[in-house]
Amino acid sequence: MESKSTAIYEAEQIGHYLLSIPIHDSEKNTYIDAMQKLNIPFSNYEQALWNSMLKSKFKMACIDAGLALKDPNNNARRKLFTMLAILEASPNYTQYFLSRNFSFFYLFKIGAVGIRAVLRAMIGILIVNNIKRKCS
Amino acid sequence: MQLKYDYIIVGSGATGAIAAHALVEAGVNVAVLDVGVEDEKYKEIIPNKDFISIRKEDDNQKKYFLGNDFEGIPWQTSKVGSQLTPPRNFLTQLSKKFIPFESDSFSPMESMAKGGLGGGWGLGCYEFSKPELDAIGLKESEMLKAYEAVASHIGISGDKDDAAPYTLRDLKNVMPVSDLEQNLNGIFSSYKNQKNSLNKKGIYVGRTPLAVLTKDRENRRAIQYKDMDLWSDKDKSGYRSWMTIEQLSSNSNFTYHKNCLVIKFREQENGVDVIVKRTDTNEEQIFTCKKLILSPGVLGTARIVIRSFDYKKEQLPVICNPYCYIPCFQWRMLGKEIEQRKTGFGQLMLFLDEDKTNFDVGLAALYSYRSLLLFKLIKESPLNYSDSRILMQYMQSSFTIAGVHHPEKSSATKFIRMKQNVETFTGDILTGQYILSDQELQTNENREKKIKSALKTLGCQPIKTIYTPHGGSIHYAGTLPFSDNGEKFSIHPNGKLAGTKNVFVADGSGFNYLPAKGLTFTLMANAYNVAKNVLKNE
Repeated sequence: MESKSTAIYEAEQIGHYLLSIPIHDSEKNTYIDAMQKLNIPFSNYEQALWNSMLKSKFKMACIDAGLALKDPNNNARRKLFTMLAILEASPNYTQYFLSRNFSFFYLFKIGAVGIRAVLRAMIGILIVNNIKRKCS
Repeated sequence: MQLKYDYIIVGSGATGAIAAHALVEAGVNVAVLDVGVEDEKYKEIIPNKDFISIRKEDDNQKKYFLGNDFEGIPWQTSKVGSQLTPPRNFLTQLSKKFIPFESDSFSPMESMAKGGLGGGWGLGCYEFSKPELDAIGLKESEMLKAYEAVASHIGISGDKDDAAPYTLRDLKNVMPVSDLEQNLNGIFSSYKNQKNSLNKKGIYVGRTPLAVLTKDRENRRAIQYKDMDLWSDKDKSGYRSWMTIEQLSSNSNFTYHKNCLVIKFREQENGVDVIVKRTDTNEEQIFTCKKLILSPGVLGTARIVIRSFDYKKEQLPVICNPYCYIPCFQWRMLGKEIEQRKTGFGQLMLFLDEDKTNFDVGLAALYSYRSLLLFKLIKESPLNYSDSRILMQYMQSSFTIAGVHHPEKSSATKFIRMKQNVETFTGDILTGQYILSDQELQTNENREKKIKSALKTLGCQPIKTIYTPHGGSIHYAGTLPFSDNGEKFSIHPNGKLAGTKNVFVADGSGFNYLPAKGLTFTLMANAYNVAKNVLKNE
C-alpha cells in the first residue's frame, strides 16, 4: 500500500472520474481502509496502466473502457470498482445510483453516453495495447 | 451438562427444526445438537427501515452493504455462495474449517449456522405432484397431510392461479398473496393476455407461494415491503428455521446444544451413543438417546453414516439441480422509477410442462433487481464504469433475473466420496464428482431455449445465460436412496436408516429424484412425517 497521501489522491481522482464531482473525506477514508484490507496486488503491467490512469480523468476513462473489453478482471479496474461500491453505499451519493423517473428527452443523453463509451473504448484499446507492448 | 435425552436431533436447519417442533409438541424430551454459528457482526447495526430510507439516511450502511472487510464487493467470483450478502455470510462460516469438501466439478454450499441453510432460503414453497413424489420415493397421501401441518407452522402466502398445479395444489393453509411489484406485474399481465397460446406450448405463469406472512402472527409481522429481505430478518415476516428453534427454547422438554459437531453414532442395546467433537474446545463428548434423528443436510448425514458404518462404503450417489440464471431486459420498464414498497423475494414463476404430466417440469423463478446494489450490475457491463453507471441507473428498473432450475436424477458420474485425512478436524474429508452426460446437457439446453423463447414472448429479452458451478442450486439429495430392501446405506421410506434399530434420517438423503421446484417445503414435510414415524416406532 502506498502512502496515505497517494491513496487520498487516488480516491479523489477515481471519485471525480466516476461521478464528475469532488468526493467527501469520509469516502476517501473508506477507500484508504479498503485498499489496506484488500491489498490488491499489481503486476508491472497493471502498475503501468494504473500510473497512466492517474494522469488524467480522460485517460482513466479510456483505459477503463479498453480494459472492460479486453481484460475486465484487471486489478487496475478493481480499484475503480471498489470506489464505485463505496460511493454507492454512502448516503451522500444516493441520487447517482437509485432509479428515478427519467423524461423522454433523457434518451438523448443516454444515446450520447453510449457513443462516448464506444469512443472511449476505441481509444482505450490503443492505449492499453501500447502499454502492454512497452511492458512485455 | 445433561448428556442423556429421549430424542436427539442433529442439525437445526429446515428439517431439524420441523422434526424438533413435531417431537416437542408431542411432549417428549428432545435435544438438538448443532454447531450453531450466528451473525454477530451485522444484525444489530441494520436499521429496521426500508431500503430507500436506509440508502438516503444511514451513514453506517457501508458496514453491512459492503462488509467490515469489504467482502461484499465481489471480484472474479462465480463460486457458490458468492451471492450471499455480508449479513448472510455467517451461513457458510466455519464450514471449510470443520466440514471441508474438495472437488473440481462439484461446489456444494454447507452451513453450520443456527437454522442452517434455511437462513438463506428464497422462501418458495411448492407441493410436489404425485408423479414427482412417486419418483422421489414418498407417499402422496402422507405428504399431503404433512404439507398442511408445515404450512400451518411456517405461514405461507400464495394464490390459486394457473401455476397452482405446480405450486400450492390443494393446500388449504394459505394466506392471501403478497402485493406484486411493478416489474413482475408487467410480465404477469403479458402472460394473461397471451395465456391460451402459451398454455398450448406448456408454459404456465403464476405467483410464487412464499413462506412469508401477509398477516401478523404472534411475534412475526406481516410483510412490510421494505426490500431488505436479502439483508435482514428484522420483522420476521419470512420464515427462518432459527425462529422455530428460538420458539422451542422456552419449552422445558427442549434443549439446544451449541458448538457440537456430531462425528458418528454407535448403536447400543437400548439406544444410541452420539459421539460429538466440540468446536469450541476440540473435546469429545458422548450423548445418549433412545432415538437419533439425523438432519444436518445430506452431505453432513453422509459423513456421519459413513463413519458410523466404519467406512465400509466410501462412495455414495448425490443429486443436485442444474441451475443457471438469465438476466433479461424489459423495454416497458425503461427509465421508470422502482417503487419504494417492494420485496427482494422472487414473486413470479414460469413453468415449462410440455407433455402436461406435471413431471420433469422446468422452471424459471423471476426476480427484479435493486437491493443487491447497482455496482454489481455495472460490473457485468462491457463498458467503462463511469458511463456504465449512467446507463445502468437508467435501465435498472428494466432488469429481470430468471433463475432456471432443471429436474435431476442420479447417475454413476455424480457421487461423493469420503477420504481419510489426518489434517482435518474430523480426520477425513469429503470429495466429489458431478458430471452431466451429453444427453442431460442437451435436454437442459433445449429446456433453456424454450424458457428463453417464452420470456421473449412475455416482453423479457434474455441478455445472456450465466451458469453456476454444479452445487449452485443449493438443492442436494439422494446420498442414501429410499429403499425398502434393508440394504445398508439406504433409508426405509419411513425414515429409518437401514442396518440400524433407532437411527432415522429426516433430511433429503433418501430422495431418489429432484424436481426443478425448490425442495425445502417438501423436505420439511418429510421431516414432519419422519418425526411422527419415530414416535410411532416407540
